[in-house]
Amino acid sequence: MAEYRAVDEDRVDRRIAFGLTTRYTSRQVVVALRGEIDMLTTPTFASVLDSLFETGRRDIVVDVAELEFMDGSGLRVIGPMSARLHDSGGALTIRSPSPMVRRLLDLTEMGDLIERDSPDPVSSTLGGEQQAGDASTPVIDGSVETDTQDTVRLPAFPVGNDVIDAALRLVTALARATIGGADGVSVTLTRHGRFTTVAASDETIAQMDRDQYATGEGPCLSAAAEGHWFHAESLADESRWPQFVPRALEDGIASVLSTPLMVSARPVGALNIYSNTDHAFGPRDQELAALFASEASSILAEARTDMTIEEVAGLLREALTTRQVIAHAEGVLMGRQGISADAASANLRQTAKRTGVDVRESAAAVLVSVLRDNLIGQV
Amino acid sequence: MSKPNSILEDARIEVGLTHSELWFRYFALGGMSTALEVEAYLYDALTPTDHDRDLVATALNERFSELGGDHPVAYTDDDDFDKRNL
Repeated sequence: MAEYRAVDEDRVDRRIAFGLTTRYTSRQVVVALRGEIDMLTTPTFASVLDSLFETGRRDIVVDVAELEFMDGSGLRVIGPMSARLHDSGGALTIRSPSPMVRRLLDLTEMGDLIERDSPDPVSSTLGGEQQAGDASTPVIDGSVETDTQDTVRLPAFPVGNDVIDAALRLVTALARATIGGADGVSVTLTRHGRFTTVAASDETIAQMDRDQYATGEGPCLSAAAEGHWFHAESLADESRWPQFVPRALEDGIASVLSTPLMVSARPVGALNIYSNTDHAFGPRDQELAALFASEASSILAEARTDMTIEEVAGLLREALTTRQVIAHAEGVLMGRQGISADAASANLRQTAKRTGVDVRESAAAVLVSVLRDNLIGQV
Repeated sequence: MSKPNSILEDARIEVGLTHSELWFRYFALGGMSTALEVEAYLYDALTPTDHDRDLVATALNERFSELGGDHPVAYTDDDDFDKRNL
């Protein structure tokens, strides 16, 4: 498919960069992988699959036609996800494996997952493929890369609203995937004097925002108007926003955290996180929400710059992957040595400094050692 | 400003990172402070925790390494770390 290549070939360095694209058809979601699935890239792959599952996707196709390499860590994501999908009446299918991947799947008794008939490329292009949601409110499904289709349609310059919206959708998707307890995320902006939802993780969430615009009240509007955050820990006990709250409860929303987006110290919108559970957001989730709101704000503030969506997406993907690798390694060290998170972080940093590598490499080495220990344990 | 730059801010200028780029690197390393807070650390307007301070230092030092240098920004648990030189 033409829109499959998210990255301009000129921009790709000599190695095949890891890439992940999600495409939606009426029935299925196709997760296309390229490059290598290994210790470093598996966390991203896993979080995308988790998000798709959590947002109710049950028919997932993993297209590995452009995958160069996959190690055991990729299989440890595919196996359990396949079982989860199967248990809930769905399926995970592997499309177009190379001989190497096919052999890996056969060896691990996952050969049954390989798609029997190759898809007809013409019909898959023309066969009613569509992005979920309507055009005015792009709906993302919690994956980190639903924006990539926008990438190829858009010129690198100038940066218009489309690019900004795509970047904000990416931030929304990352927030949705990262913040525990988040059942839906949206971004509201004031444009031309009225409120608009530029990204929403599903239709219920888009409706939540519209209910607030319609009633003229709600945590999202308060945050966007007053420039500080609003946390409704339990809507059932909430006395603010009497028009909006009953509508939210009716739709199964139990708590809301709205963080303002600020440009030049002026509120311009809000990042809204919704949960079906009350008291869903702890202090750490609030910190993360502030962090993502800050990121969304800086995208808006720097909208005039020459940063393309590929670059924004690339930076965020890279940053999130690194964070996950480091967090996993810190977890390993905490368990092994019985030390605190900060001490584990210091340990990785000191090892990196001593051995002349960066912290991510030092963290990856810890994870590799775990894998090695596991393999030795199995022999 | 009459006040001299902090060591961190001097290092940031030396390696040529923008505040946004530095924040991205800090975030990738697991930092939880916002871009504005990190900027405030550099201007001595906020005092970071040792952990946050070391993450900013790591981000800067990794940039120094990329440019072929050593790790010139001291960490809080280094023997030669001088608390006065935040």
